[in-house]
Amino acid sequence: MNCEHARLLIGAEPRSSAPELAQHLQTCAACAQFREEMLALEANIEHALQQPPQAAVQRGAGSRLRSAPRQPWRPWALAASVLFASVAVLTLWLLRPTDTLAHDVVAHVQAEPESWLGQQVSAQEIGHALNGAGVALDVTSDKITYAQSCWFRGHYVPHLVVQTAQGPATVLILRHEQVKGPRNFHEAGMNGVIVPAQPGSIAVLTHGGNADLVARQMQQDVRALPESQ
Amino acid sequence: MRNPQPESPVLSVGGRLPGADSGAPLTRLFESLRPDLLRFAQWLARDRAIAEDIVQESLLRAWRSREALKDASAARPWLLTIVRREHARLYERKRLELVPLDEVAETHAGPVSVDTEDDLFALRHAIMRLPLEYREPLVLQVLGGFSTEEIAQELSLSASAVLTRLFRARNKLRVICGLSGAPDVSDGGGAA
Repeated sequence: MNCEHARLLIGAEPRSSAPELAQHLQTCAACAQFREEMLALEANIEHALQQPPQAAVQRGAGSRLRSAPRQPWRPWALAASVLFASVAVLTLWLLRPTDTLAHDVVAHVQAEPESWLGQQVSAQEIGHALNGAGVALDVTSDKITYAQSCWFRGHYVPHLVVQTAQGPATVLILRHEQVKGPRNFHEAGMNGVIVPAQPGSIAVLTHGGNADLVARQMQQDVRALPESQ
Repeated sequence: MRNPQPESPVLSVGGRLPGADSGAPLTRLFESLRPDLLRFAQWLARDRAIAEDIVQESLLRAWRSREALKDASAARPWLLTIVRREHARLYERKRLELVPLDEVAETHAGPVSVDTEDDLFALRHAIMRLPLEYREPLVLQVLGGFSTEEIAQELSLSASAVLTRLFRARNKLRVICGLSGAPDVSDGGGAA
C-alpha cells in the first residue's frame, strides 16, 4: 500500500482497521499523522451531524447567517453593556469639564506669574484682550492691572487680574467652556471658582481672597459682543 | 409543492388497519425511528419542511411494503434507504431549487477549528455546503451506518467511486477546518 492509497482509505473510512493500512501506518509517520487528524475531524463530523441542520441555513435566498447561534441572554447582556457604557460616559462627561478645567486654569496662571505683578493697563489693552474673545466688560479700568488675550484650550480668552480689597484676583473669561453651576476648588495654594456666565463661564483665582465675590461681580459685568464684531 | 395536511402517516395508517394489534408494534417502531429519519432527511434535503414531507412519504411507502421487513433490527437501515430514495425521487421529479449557500461560504470563509459551538456551527454549514454527490455518501456512512459496499449498492456506484467521494468530502471539510488538504486522488470510477 502506498501513501496515496492509504490516504484515500483514511479519508473515506477514518476508522478503518484494514491490516494493510495498519501495516502502512507503522512505517509512515506522515500518514499516521494524517489519520490522527482525520480521526479528530471525524469525531467533530459525527457531532455535527447528530443535530439537524440549523434553521438559519434554510432560510433561503438572500438570507445572511448569523455567525453564532443566538443565546437567550445576549439581548440582556447587550442592554446592560449599553447602559453601563452610557452611565460611564455620562459620569465622565459630568466630571471632566470642571475638574480638568480648574486644573488647566491653575496651570495657566502658574505659567504667567508676572500677571500678579502688574501695575495698571490701558483701556486700549483691556479692549484688545476682551474683543479678541468677543466679550466686553463693564468695569472701571483702574482696577485691572493685567490684561492679555491668552491661548487657552483652543481659544483666545481674556486673562485679567483685578485688584480687590483682599488682593489681586485672576479672571479668565471662558466663552467656550460651559459649566452647569459654580464649582469651587483649591489647588496650588489658590482658591478658585468657576461659574456659569453669558456666554460660557468665568474662572476666578485668588491667593486667600474671596473668589466667589469676584466671580459674582464679573458675572454681572461681562457681556457678550455680537458675533459680527 | 408539498404534501397537504401532513398527519403522522404512521399513526394515521396504523389507525386504519383492520388488524390494529398486529400493526401496533411496527407503528411504534416506525415512530421511534422518526427522529433519526427526519435528521437524515434534513441533511439530504437541507430544508426541514421538505424533509418532513420526505419522511411522511417514506413512512407511507414503508407501511405499504411492510411485508418486506422480515427482521425488526433491520428496520432502521431499511427506512433510511427508503428515505434516501424518496429524497432522490423528489429531487428528480421536482428539480428542487438548491438552497443557496454561497453567502454562507462568505460568512465562514476563514479557517476554523471545531473547539467551540460556533466552530461546530461552521462545520455544520460546511457539511451543508458539500455538493450532494459528496454529502449523500457521507451522511449515509456517518448517520446511516452504511458500509462502503452498501453505499455503493444504494447509489449504483462502484466501491472505489464511493471511497473517492468520501475522501473528497472529508478532504473539503479538512480545508474548511484549517487543516491542509491532502492531494486529490484519481477518480475511482462512476456507476457500478
